[in-house]
Amino acid sequence: MNNLPDYQFLPAPLWLITVLHILTLTLHLAAMNFLLGGLIIVLFGKFTDRWNHPVVQQFIKLFPAAMAATVTLGVAPLLFVQLVYPVQTYSAAIVTAWFFLAIVAAVIVAYYFLYASSFARKGSSRYPAFMTVSLLLLLYVSFTYSNVFSIAERPALAAQLYAGNQSGFQLNPNVGEWIWRWLHMVLGAVTVAGFFVGLIGRKHEEAFNTGKTFFLWGMVGAMMVGLVYLLTLADILKPIMRSPAIWWMTVSIILSLGSLHFFFKKRFLPASLMLFVSLLGMVVLRHYVRLIQLQDHFDPAAWVIKPQWGVFIMFLVCFVLALGLVWYMLKLFFRKPDLMTVNIGGRKDPERSGLSEPVDR
Amino acid sequence: MNYPFWDVGVGYGVLMAIIAVVHVFVSHFAIGGGLYLVVAERAARRTDDTARLDFIQRLSKFFVLVSVVFGALTGVGIWFIIGLLNPAATEALIHNFVWGWATEWCFFVIEILAALLYFYGWSRMSGRNHMIIGWIYFGAAWISLVIINGIVTFMLTPGEWIATGNFWDGFFNPTYWSSLVLRTGICIMLAGLYALLVASRYTASDFKARTVRYNALWAVVGLAVVVPSVFWYFSDIPADMMAAARAAMNIPFAALDLMYWLTGIVAALVIIFGLLIPRAYHTAIGVAVMALGLTWFGSYEWFREALRKPYVITGYMYANAIEIPNVPTYQAEGLLAHITYKTDDPGADLFRRACRTCHTMTGYNALKPVFDGTDEEFIAGMVMGTGATRGNMPPWVGTEAEARLIAAHIYQQVDKRPLAEITGLHGVELGRKVYDLRCGSCHQFGGYNDKTASLAGLTAEDYHGILDMADDLGEEMPAFTGTQEERDALVQFLQTITEGGVQ
Repeated sequence: MNNLPDYQFLPAPLWLITVLHILTLTLHLAAMNFLLGGLIIVLFGKFTDRWNHPVVQQFIKLFPAAMAATVTLGVAPLLFVQLVYPVQTYSAAIVTAWFFLAIVAAVIVAYYFLYASSFARKGSSRYPAFMTVSLLLLLYVSFTYSNVFSIAERPALAAQLYAGNQSGFQLNPNVGEWIWRWLHMVLGAVTVAGFFVGLIGRKHEEAFNTGKTFFLWGMVGAMMVGLVYLLTLADILKPIMRSPAIWWMTVSIILSLGSLHFFFKKRFLPASLMLFVSLLGMVVLRHYVRLIQLQDHFDPAAWVIKPQWGVFIMFLVCFVLALGLVWYMLKLFFRKPDLMTVNIGGRKDPERSGLSEPVDR
Repeated sequence: MNYPFWDVGVGYGVLMAIIAVVHVFVSHFAIGGGLYLVVAERAARRTDDTARLDFIQRLSKFFVLVSVVFGALTGVGIWFIIGLLNPAATEALIHNFVWGWATEWCFFVIEILAALLYFYGWSRMSGRNHMIIGWIYFGAAWISLVIINGIVTFMLTPGEWIATGNFWDGFFNPTYWSSLVLRTGICIMLAGLYALLVASRYTASDFKARTVRYNALWAVVGLAVVVPSVFWYFSDIPADMMAAARAAMNIPFAALDLMYWLTGIVAALVIIFGLLIPRAYHTAIGVAVMALGLTWFGSYEWFREALRKPYVITGYMYANAIEIPNVPTYQAEGLLAHITYKTDDPGADLFRRACRTCHTMTGYNALKPVFDGTDEEFIAGMVMGTGATRGNMPPWVGTEAEARLIAAHIYQQVDKRPLAEITGLHGVELGRKVYDLRCGSCHQFGGYNDKTASLAGLTAEDYHGILDMADDLGEEMPAFTGTQEERDALVQFLQTITEGGVQ
């Protein structure tokens, strides 16, 4: 029996998995921020004739795709975090099982309401209700993730909660351990979405100003709440200050402010690059905070490494193929329709240029 | 042993089935439907068939709403639920196959984007480019199946991986190819059945007739792939595994028989109403055929899952997450020493770890009815003898003291009155009940571990003698610890046994 294979190993060096985790989590957060923050701004931002406003309409049409991107890009980081921190993540998920599992149902319902909004007629009176439901469900999802991972990073708390109740109907009862973290994520989402509203609405003065307002005050709020969150980590504050985390935080703050500066000048390329790197820096910071929080319980560097290079190369090739196909498909999609070739059966027939609109019956 | 245990009131099998069955339906439909859409679009464009193009476009909307939203998220749901129900098995799979999953994720990204562009592309893309997106969608969706099929089949037949631990040995395992062909056939069949259901809602017309006939052909082609590949798949399963399952599990094999019947019924309905009299393909028939097809698929999936018992990964990890490489350690040191997450009730902790994955006390696979009217000693004997019971249960790997802790935990929740008082039975009927409770888990008349031949025709004294030495008859057989009334009743019942069985 002892000759059976062991599964307690990592199939690639830890640094490689960490890099992939950080990169994919950053992409997931960018899509999530667009969606969650975008919903907040569309519902509460200043827009004259809100539901007929072209920028709001554009966001309503983009939300289902943003949801698809959020879900799709969320799979990879969750896979990598479970690979390196299985005991921490599964234990926290089991202690909170019903709430954790309900994330799936919440996302499905939110997703359908976003589609219902995108299919509704322009100016529909159903928009506020549909989008409020989606927003509330996505706030639930973000709250649950913050709460669950606040437990995952405190193994002693997970054990204590489990000893008291095994039904999976618990959450982290110590509000201070998750509330600031959650608010930081939500305000961060508003910040990034403010940027996108300004970018997409750059030709509409009111939309740009609305985006600017949310970008600025979202960032101020996120920074303040982030600072409070940091202070609540009193026990590990010193190790954080002595780790590379502090450099990543400093760089991220500087880049965020730089992004704000270029955004105000409507120079969107440097603004977006700075914002993305700032987001990446925050994810790296988060990674260091987790390592320090777990240092007395678990050291990922202790994993046995048994690389599966052949399979990894297959993944890498498929990843490059995926990027290529994504680019190719988007190129096909956004290519201007040529009525002389948009036809049925390969014959040139401008009258039959496919079907005018997706049928909604 | 490193994880807490979700002690939910619902059976684990039920929770898993709710999410998994829905997902496998949708995910297979998502692949077959993708192929159907692009092939049908090509045919419609070649013949300038605008009515059919309109039909396909309507299908594509439903298709996106179902596959991109419900299919993708129930897939995430399966991942969530397996992590909650069996984190150790999930961890083992992720550590071995993470790059397989990561590769599948690449195709998942392509698939989702392609599905969205295909749907939104009706209004803005040329027919050629639109179909290119459709083909990319189908290719990515099918490759997702190619990859995930390796991991799903690995759990049933890990093959050489057990000796080598090599990724490819586990991935291209003995049932890989037959399962891939079978599931591809299921995808095509489901696409045809769904398209038939949609077409059934049209009023009788030439358009309906040719659309129904076309869709029925898809279902028939799917079935033509499915039928031989089912037999191929079953032939790839090690014979000893199949034989052990057949001996110990009646119900899953009944599901298998149901599956064969359903194949015939679906094929007959599709051929008669779909190909021969397509105008008469009424919505009621469409719904019935779809429901039968899904029941067929559900029966197959259930049978496949049941076949794996008592393992979650055959030969490597039991369904209750006991890792086989660690069994000698657990036997020597006990389970409790290795359970990380504990409560102040060791009996309950052990019960959860050893039994609760498949049994609740009063709900799914309930133990209370099995142990009502019995005693703590008998329950302890049964816990230690789980490896011998029918139903292919994992063997007990803890210590005797731990088995007694579990027995005490169970016993405090059962009805402690004598069986005669609980059931109101006496004489032979009480004896039959005593047999069912105390003997029937391991010895089924005409079935599992049948002892009819050796029990028939003995005297009352012989039966009393057998009961006196029951615990000496086999390592996993408990002593008879029932009341005197139950013993006498059991002997009366045993006296009714003949060579032909029981009356």
